[in-house]
Amino acid sequence: MRGFKTLLWLEHRRSWVWAVSLFASLAFWAWGIKQVLVLDIASRAGIRSGLLGIAAAIGLLVLAIMIGRFRGETRNGQYQVMLLSPPSGYSHILARFVYAATVAAIYYVTIAFLYWWIAELAGIHFDAVTLIELILGLPLYGLALIAFPLMAWVLLLMVVVSSYRLSGSGWIPGTIMVFGSGVAFGELGEAISRIAYSLPGWRIFRHAPGALIERFGPLDPEVSTELSQVMYQGVPIEPVLVMLAVTALMLFLAGRIWQEVEA
Amino acid sequence: MSPTDRWILDMDAGPIYVQIGARVKEQLARGDLAPGEKLPSARDLAALLSVNPNTVAHAYERLEADGVIETKRGLGTFIREDAPVAGTKKETLEAAAVRYVNEARRLGVSLDEAADAVKEAWNAGSS
Amino acid sequence: MLAHLEHVTKRYVKADGVLDLSLGFPAGEVVGVLGLNGSGKSTLLKLLAGLLQPTQGTVRVFGKAPRQARSQFVFLGEQDALWTWMTPRDAEKFMSGVYEDFDAARFNELLDVLDVPRRKTKAMSKGERGRLRLAMSLSRDVKLYLLDEPLAGIDLISREKILSSLVREWHTDETILLSTHEVAEAEGLFERVLLMKAGRIALDAQAEELRDEGKSVVDAFREVLS
Repeated sequence: MRGFKTLLWLEHRRSWVWAVSLFASLAFWAWGIKQVLVLDIASRAGIRSGLLGIAAAIGLLVLAIMIGRFRGETRNGQYQVMLLSPPSGYSHILARFVYAATVAAIYYVTIAFLYWWIAELAGIHFDAVTLIELILGLPLYGLALIAFPLMAWVLLLMVVVSSYRLSGSGWIPGTIMVFGSGVAFGELGEAISRIAYSLPGWRIFRHAPGALIERFGPLDPEVSTELSQVMYQGVPIEPVLVMLAVTALMLFLAGRIWQEVEA
Repeated sequence: MSPTDRWILDMDAGPIYVQIGARVKEQLARGDLAPGEKLPSARDLAALLSVNPNTVAHAYERLEADGVIETKRGLGTFIREDAPVAGTKKETLEAAAVRYVNEARRLGVSLDEAADAVKEAWNAGSS
Repeated sequence: MLAHLEHVTKRYVKADGVLDLSLGFPAGEVVGVLGLNGSGKSTLLKLLAGLLQPTQGTVRVFGKAPRQARSQFVFLGEQDALWTWMTPRDAEKFMSGVYEDFDAARFNELLDVLDVPRRKTKAMSKGERGRLRLAMSLSRDVKLYLLDEPLAGIDLISREKILSSLVREWHTDETILLSTHEVAEAEGLFERVLLMKAGRIALDAQAEELRDEGKSVVDAFREVLS
């Protein structure tokens, strides 16, 4: 794929401000975490985790905006330049996605790192394996399940809306996509839950309860049961596989439609 | 005279390649170009005049056929040493005369009146 | 023929672009595409570039659909299509990364000839941006150049530089289609002129032949429009 590196470079030059802002915001969240001074340790850890939850959600929003912004380019003629460049629509789409996915990966791994920090501050010490699961495994699982499909969907949506711009009724396919996707993802969710656990799962946080018990004493029976389920059955792999396939499909469609756009 | 002054083209005055040919002959007649002198390449002249290089090439072909210029491989295009300077002088003068006569005829004056105007202009010019 | 259109019609929602055009463009021609706004000049060039799809008819460039042939021709659009943060160095990086036929040395030469400042495009005037984009276009070694209003809205000095660069860089086996409003200024450049009116070809003639009949291209243009 000639020129893929150049497309990545282009994407970086277009979007680095968004990426850097996102990373810089983590410094803000880290500062925020330090500011939480509620006396009860468990509550403190809870509030801090909540802050990171917000950071994670905001990250999704920002990533969606970052990857979806090419209305301006269709108007200003940059789309023309890209459309007439030798790399295929697939290359262009993939370059945008790979850049955003890399930014997302760095962001969420850093958030996972911050979760570890929160745990350390609360006196919970995880062992090495659990740590790797927390800092690498969990973010990548979440990325594959939620962030990547979301970004691919936004990309596809923007391409569909842009591609029918000239015909004047671009809002029709766009609207169909938005509502259609809601239905489609609902169906998909149901299908996934039916086939979940048919393949061996990934056992996560095996040693986590031990660390928690060490710190806080015996766990609540309800929490205990839930944790055991997660630990002994493992987290299902199927949803990830399905969502990765869905992501690939959406990227393929986006690439295909991108090439057909009139500019 | 700046370079473009010597190469005045009028888009209403017929094919450009003819006009370029005429300009070369005029310059030769007036002594602005001497036998043996180098002409700009077709592309350079085209760039100077903002015209198609093929048009200049066409003009040069005609001038070569008329024995006014020659192309020396690898060196460029030159006015021939034996270029018909006297002939082009005559041509240029006659072309100017034709223009003058056409104007005079349009004004409806007689040959004598036209000739007198020439004499007056000549005398005015030399003082 | 490097490129041709066969019975091509392009209709927009609110207007017609071109109607039943059949044209051929052999190698080595410099063609002026002239006409008023809305006459179909831009539509013709965009159809050849594959930026628009015909409603009817076929467009072939180097024997293929234009999109398939996109690495074999240059399209220079009217819009200021560069990212505002790009400098000429960035443009060079983009072009050489994406086009095999891009000659970086020639690009830098043209930047000097065209007097393009080494700044971000947002800090350049419209004329300077136009010259940069022309330098980018002429540094690609292809046989077909589609230039859509490269002189539009550009200052006099820039226009002169652009025209003389076009003359210098053109090779006799290359075809240039250039659409412009500056008929008088660019007239000398064209071997062939296409005068368009309301989506059709009103006149397709050799410029020197028109002049042989005592008409400048400007005269023919006025005649056609009235």
